[in-house]
Formats: sequence, structure tokens, C-alpha cells
Amino acid sequence: MTIFIWTIQFIFIPVVSPLCVGIIKKIKARLQNREGASIFQPYKDLWKLLHKDEVISRDASWIFSSAPFIIFSVTIVVGASIPIFEPFFNNTLTGDMLIIVYALAIGTFFLALSGMDTGSAFGGLGSSREMTLSALAEGGLIFSLLTVALISGTTNLFAISSSIFGQGQHFLSVLLAFSGFFIVLLAETARFPYDNPDTHLELTMIHEAMILEYSGKRLALMEWASANKLLIFFALGANLFFPSGLAQNAYADAIILCIVIFMVKIFIFCLVIALIESSMAKFRFFRLPDLLLISFILNVVAIGLIY
Amino acid sequence: MPLLTTNMIKKIQQFIPKDAQVEFHDNNATFEVSILEIKKVARDLYANKNLSLKLITATDEREENGYFKIWYVFGVPKENLFIIPFILLKNKTEFPSISLVIYEALNYERKIKTFFGLTPIGCQDKRPIILHENWPTDVFPLRKDFDWQKRPQIATSGIYNFQKVKGEGIYEIPVGPIHAGIIEPGHFRFSVAGERIVLLEPRLGYTHKGSEKLFEVLPLDEKIKLSEKISGDSSFSHSLAFCQALEKLSDTTLPTRALYLRVIYAELERLANHFGDIGAIMMDTGFNFGGAQGSRLREMVMQINERITGSRFLRGVNTIGGVTKDIDNLEKNKLLLELKTISKDFSKVIGVALNSTSLLNRLKGTGVLSAEIAKNHGVIGVVGKAVGIINDARVDYPYAAYDKLLPDEIVTEQDGDVYARFLVRIKEAHASMKIIEDALDKLPKEDINIPNLNVVFKKNTFAMSVVEGWRGEIAYFVTTDENGSISRVVPRDPSFINWAVLRDAGFDNVIPDFPLINKSFNLSYSGNDL
Repeated sequence: MTIFIWTIQFIFIPVVSPLCVGIIKKIKARLQNREGASIFQPYKDLWKLLHKDEVISRDASWIFSSAPFIIFSVTIVVGASIPIFEPFFNNTLTGDMLIIVYALAIGTFFLALSGMDTGSAFGGLGSSREMTLSALAEGGLIFSLLTVALISGTTNLFAISSSIFGQGQHFLSVLLAFSGFFIVLLAETARFPYDNPDTHLELTMIHEAMILEYSGKRLALMEWASANKLLIFFALGANLFFPSGLAQNAYADAIILCIVIFMVKIFIFCLVIALIESSMAKFRFFRLPDLLLISFILNVVAIGLIY
Repeated sequence: MPLLTTNMIKKIQQFIPKDAQVEFHDNNATFEVSILEIKKVARDLYANKNLSLKLITATDEREENGYFKIWYVFGVPKENLFIIPFILLKNKTEFPSISLVIYEALNYERKIKTFFGLTPIGCQDKRPIILHENWPTDVFPLRKDFDWQKRPQIATSGIYNFQKVKGEGIYEIPVGPIHAGIIEPGHFRFSVAGERIVLLEPRLGYTHKGSEKLFEVLPLDEKIKLSEKISGDSSFSHSLAFCQALEKLSDTTLPTRALYLRVIYAELERLANHFGDIGAIMMDTGFNFGGAQGSRLREMVMQINERITGSRFLRGVNTIGGVTKDIDNLEKNKLLLELKTISKDFSKVIGVALNSTSLLNRLKGTGVLSAEIAKNHGVIGVVGKAVGIINDARVDYPYAAYDKLLPDEIVTEQDGDVYARFLVRIKEAHASMKIIEDALDKLPKEDINIPNLNVVFKKNTFAMSVVEGWRGEIAYFVTTDENGSISRVVPRDPSFINWAVLRDAGFDNVIPDFPLINKSFNLSYSGNDL
């Protein structure tokens, strides 16, 4: 049974992540009076890209060719190390909050390097913007996770998600920390109001500018990795801050129920993101640090409220 | 031909140097100026008499008369008059540049240099315009002895000198000519310090099609079709301006119903494009709701166009002597009803948009064009109106039935930012709907064109025609030779003028705002490159 659960845990993020992207796109399309593509379109896109030839610039170094594999692997490892439906697991090897945050940072680091590697003007722009944002977002991310860590007295994510349940007196702290976390989530996953995942305007891009030079299989990995990252952040947000509905034992019926509940939470995240992206304009680049500062302040207040 | 009243002659006389020999062609007064005098005369008309420069162009008349002629066309707003001094270049290929006294003359002179091989002496910008390095520098396509069917040898040596900014941390970003969206090709060279634009230089010419030369060689009905393709989104306005010039050259008087129909079609074109632009501006800020609604409204108008005329872009509608498609009573009532729905929808969408703080925050203060720079470049159309320049061919040079259906007032804004250009479009769209309703109400019962019209052009003359397209004023200058056939057609799209100030609007903005600024201008590449 444990092997079985581990398998689900391991493949869950990469298997479900394209669906999230598809759902967000579908909701956005409907909100714009469009029919929109099927929610399974991202799978078809990945399949298509995986079967395409690719073009790699003559000037590209090993960083460009290996970055997609590094970035994708990082998301797989992180995806396997966070609580999705089984807080009873107690993964003590990679399930630590700091390991997760900085493992994701390795991915961002290589993403930024690969953007600059070919020397294209847009990649450089994207990388410099990404580094500005992720440096600012890091504080918010660490502090929001620290809030729940302090409440439950451990930095192990599995332990946090099983113990934060029933900490009713810290409800306000958790809520504030979640708000801070959500602001960072939008920045880290290249969503509104930071970045426009649907734009074709190279000059405005952040994430898309960095992967502009990729094609074929490597592009598929890059797209897949960013979908994984989106789901990882959804899972962190759902299970660390609102862990109700997580399985407390390893019986099959409990696990199935948990996965269903988890999917509902994910759907709510998708819906909120789609609503944000349909109802507001993207912010000017220089207003974004303010927003991340707000996230930081929310978390500091949340920590202050604990004591 | 409307005879010139003494009153008009008196008015004209104040613009003309005393010793000049004036010739009248319709509503144009033309006179020769010596090469030494042209700077002074042009400056006097432009700065002291406050005339607006419509265009500067050359004609190659070496075969008949042995000279090149350079025309300086000035318009007298509200009077529907054109004052046109010209200079003659006999056995020489140099002429004095007036760009130091009239800055907006610069690009016209560069164009004469590139296409006629006549050198403007004193012109500060010696780079060719529109034609690229692959075009040999000693072949001049608008000279009459250039064989349009022969392809010249590809030149390989030239380089184009972009302006350079030097300094620590300056980063150069080349963008285009191929873009990610389905838009026309154009190259932009940015020099940035961090995210700030220090210098932006557009380089165009990628859609050069030799239209001006084609105008000289194609048969007449093909010429009208060609005018529809100068800038595809302004098909009707361009062909309207061209047909009006041809009607002046052949002394054709139109039935009034045709004049009213032309107003209706022209405003439908404006409406469709303004809706599209308003949506596109919102789309570029990421405000997806507005973007989707803009394209929906535009599509509604395009489908009306298709139903009435069979063409979404109103092509094949204009003809010499009127229009080819009528609006019958049934259609009229249907259209009035649809306009009501569209108007209600549009107001609702704009209501939502103007209540969105995040949208307004992106639009306000972005891409500010100063009024002074705009005036020096003679900026026209939406961009000009957004800095308070009151210029609208529908009022200044009334054509079709606009004298009876005048827009209440010319809408203007003062701030010159993206928001101002956005608002001008909104107000113009509202005004357009009113004009269409008004025109439908007053639509007289008559023919829509002149059946079996035998078109004969006057000999050795020329005509000017201006039309307010949705981007701004479109001007056509058409000349005929001694046989009464068209010898030169100069289409001047507003984009040709407004492209020159895009760099000023972009200056000191952040790079991610440039696409938005560019969209708020939405200039035609094809209309500029010809």
C-alpha cells in the first residue's frame, strides 16, 4: 500500500498540472464570451511539442540544453516532497520548508540563466525581470511558510499540514499568512498582475521571454515544468493553510475522498486566478515591488499575532 | 466647375506673394517660386499665415517640359482652398531643403531624395527612407524613365545608420520586423537603461509595394482598387479620397444621395476601427474583458458592412461619380435598430472600463506626447486630437455631405497620453454613430451614381482631395498630363506623419509599456511604406 501511495504522490503533480492550465484557460475563455479550447488541450500541446524537432542556437552553451531537464526535475522532486493528500507520511528527507523553497529557487536560477544564454535581447529582459521579482518574492514566501511553521512548531511540511488542523486560535494568522502567500504565488507562477501568460508582446513578457528561444521537446519540458510549479504552489496553499479534508490514514476510500477534496480546492484556485485575469489589467512593472512588500508586511503581522 | 468668386480671389490673394503669377485649378491656387525664394515663401505661408502643410512631392516632367517640379501643398482650413507654390529644377538635381524652417517637411524631402534622386540641400537626415540597403542608390523608381517591370540588381554594400546611444549600462534591443502577433512588419531599435527607453527608432519600409509607380501604369478601374489597398483598414477612406480627386479632374457632379451614402460608409469604417482599437488598447494592458468586447463590437460593424456592401472592408463601393451599393428602406430601418443596440452595448463596455482602476492606472500618464513636439511635426488625426490639435478634414475641408451633417464639434483631449488617445476614440465612435443616424434620416431619394458615365479628365492639371480617415487626414494629390491621363498619384496616409513622433511618445517610458503606446497610435505600416 505504501508503495502505491508513493507512486500516486510521485506522479500526481506532473499528471494533473496541465489540467490546471487547461481549466484556467477554459474559464477565462468563457468569461470573455468565447468557447475556448478543451481543458485537455495542454496535454495535447505537450504531446505535440514532444514530437517536434527543435532548433538550438549555435551560440547556446550546455546551460541552454540542460536547463529544461534541471528545471523539470526540480519540479518533480519538489512535487513528490510536499503534502498532497497524505500528511501522515512524514517525509523527513526532502519535506522541509527551506529545502522546498530553495529547490524551487534552483529552478528559477537555471531558468534565468537559460534566458540569457543565447544572447537574445528578449531573454535578457525576461531574466533580469524574473530575478528582480523572485528576489523580492522570496521574503514573502519564506515568511508566510514561517508563520504556519511557527504555529505548528516544525518546518516539516507534512508535519505542518497534519498539525495545523485544529489550531483554531491562530485562524487570523493563518488567513493573513495565506494572503501573503497568495500574492507570492501569483508572482512565482507568472500570473496576473505580474505577468501575462497569454500575451504575444515580447517586450512585456517575463516568464515567456525567458523560454522564447526554446522549441520542441525542451519547450515541452519548460511548459510542463511551469505548469508543475503552478500546481505545487496551489498544493502548498491548499494543504498548509487549509488542510481540512486530508486523509489521516492509508485506507483506499479515505485517500480517494482526499484526492477529490484536493481537486475541488485546486479548482477554486483556478477559478480565482481566472477571475483575476479576466477582471483587471496587468500592473506596471514598477508597481510590482509594492505588491510584494505588502505580502511581506502581511506575513510579519501574521507572525506578530501568534505571540 | 465652381467659378471663383471675387470674394474667394481676394482671400487667396493674401496668401500669395505680390509678383507671383497665379494659376487657378478648381480650388487650388498655384504659382511658381524661384529656387532661392522657396524657403521664405514656405515659411511665410506656414508660420505667418498659419496654413497647414498637406504634402510635398515631386513630379518628373523632363520629357514634356525638361524639368522636375517640386510641389508644396498648403491647405487653408475652413475655406477648402489649397495654396500650392512650386519650384522647377531645370538641368539640376538639387533643391533647397525647407526642413529647417518647417520641420515636418523632413520626411517628404527624404522621400523625394530616395525616389526621385533630387537632393535637398541642407536636409539634416541624409539616410534613405522606405527603400532599404538592397536597393541600388542610383536607381530612382519614381522617375519616368524607370522601367517598373524590370528588377534592378540587388545592392549589397549599404548599411543603415541607426542612432546610437553610448554609455554605461545602455542596452540595445532590436525588435521586429517579424512580430509575434499578426501585425504588419516594422523594425524598432530601442536603447534602454534598465527598463527605461532612452531612444527608440522605428525603421519601416518592409511593406513597400511600389504603389505610387503602380498608380501611373495601371488602368483606371485598377487604380481605384489599388487605392483601396494603400492601407487595408482604411479601404473606403482611401478610395474616397482618390475618387474625389478624379471627380474634380473630370468635373463630375455627384447625385446627393451618393454623397450621403459616402458619409455613412466612411463613418461605418471609422466605427469598426475605433471599436477594434479601443478593445486592442485594453487587451494590451491585459484587461481581457475589454479586449474581448472590443473585437466583438468591431465584428458587429464588419458584418453590417458585409451585409450592405458584400465586403467587410467596404471594398468595391466607391466609384467615380458615386457609390455602387445602396441602402434601401428595409436596410435603413434595420441599420438604425442595430446602431441603437451597438451604441447601448458600447456605452456599457466603456462604463465598465472607465471604472477599472487597474486599467486607468496603465493608461494614464503612459506615452505622453507633448503638444509642442506634436505641432512641430504637424501631427494629425487621433494622435493630434489627443494633444488638443484641432484638425479634422470633415470640418476644415468639407467633402461628401459633411457640410450638412457636421459633427457637433471636433473632439479633443489635452493630456497626450494613451488615455487621451483612448478617450478621443471613444468620443469619435459616439459621434460617428450619431452622424450615421443623422445621415440615414436625411438620406435623399436620388441615384447612387451616374450610370454610363464617360470619364474624361482635364489636361495638364491637378487636383487635391482630403478625407478624414479614422486615423486622421488622408490626402491625395493627382496630376494629369497633356493627353488627359493620370500622370502621378501621391497618396499621403496620416501614418506617414505620425510615425515620426512615436519615438517622442515612447521616450522615458518603461519598455513593457511600449506595445501599449504603439497600439494607442495604431499607425499603418502599409500606408507609410506605399
